[in-house]
Amino acid sequence: MKNRIRVLRAEREMTQEELAELVGVTRNTIISMEKNKYCPSLKLAYRIAHIFSVGIDDVFTYEEEIDGPSGDDE
Amino acid sequence: MKRLTYLTCSLVVASMVAAMVGWSMAAGNFLVPVIAIPLGVIVVLACRAHVDIVIADEREKRIRSKAALRTLEVVIIGGAIAAVILYSFVTSIPLTPIITGKIFLNADGTQSMTIAEYKSGSVPGPETLVRSTTIQDLNAMNETEAVAYCTYVREGFSGNENRGLAGMTIACGLFAMLAIFGAFYLYYERTY
Repeated sequence: MKNRIRVLRAEREMTQEELAELVGVTRNTIISMEKNKYCPSLKLAYRIAHIFSVGIDDVFTYEEEIDGPSGDDE
Repeated sequence: MKRLTYLTCSLVVASMVAAMVGWSMAAGNFLVPVIAIPLGVIVVLACRAHVDIVIADEREKRIRSKAALRTLEVVIIGGAIAAVILYSFVTSIPLTPIITGKIFLNADGTQSMTIAEYKSGSVPGPETLVRSTTIQDLNAMNETEAVAYCTYVREGFSGNENRGLAGMTIACGLFAMLAIFGAFYLYYERTY
């Protein structure tokens, strides 16, 4: 799962700490998501999209080659 | 409250509760743990409520869940192997020590017996001898010799018996852990 969190955050001049506080997660989670290492839950994904006032598709992009057919991040 | 302050506070409370419980057990006062443990939990929970940053989010919970599952897998597999190896000391003949008893006829007509313990899996001989004792007169065995005779065989096997006991304890622990895991699995399967 790829995402544009870093770009959207930069456009709004928002720090990782601020975004983390707004969505109710730790800064480490934001860092992991920006590095495409952590795939967030649907709830968190919607919350992030809501903070940026965009659709969820504008933030996250599903890629079959990366995520696998089951979507398992094992 | 910062995260570090919360962790320090939790550590101090846990240490105090452990010290109080330890002291009360030594003193034979069983009322102190009943009060100290819930009080400690309340203090830690109150501190947790005042932490101004997110302590555990969904990523943290997922990491903990995976780490717990991996730990369980490693402990179950490693523990099962350890339990089988340890218990095999009790049932395996080559692993048990060799204990022999030889009766000799003395010059005065009395009989003496020498009990000897040799290393497990070895051929009995002077170089494999662990220890030995001699009862001078079998028919006039005194109390000390009788006790030595009784305890000799028991002590010879005690190492293997202890290993077997450790193996059984590990096996029971693993069984209990699996049972608890199964119970939680069924609970969460119904919840989600």
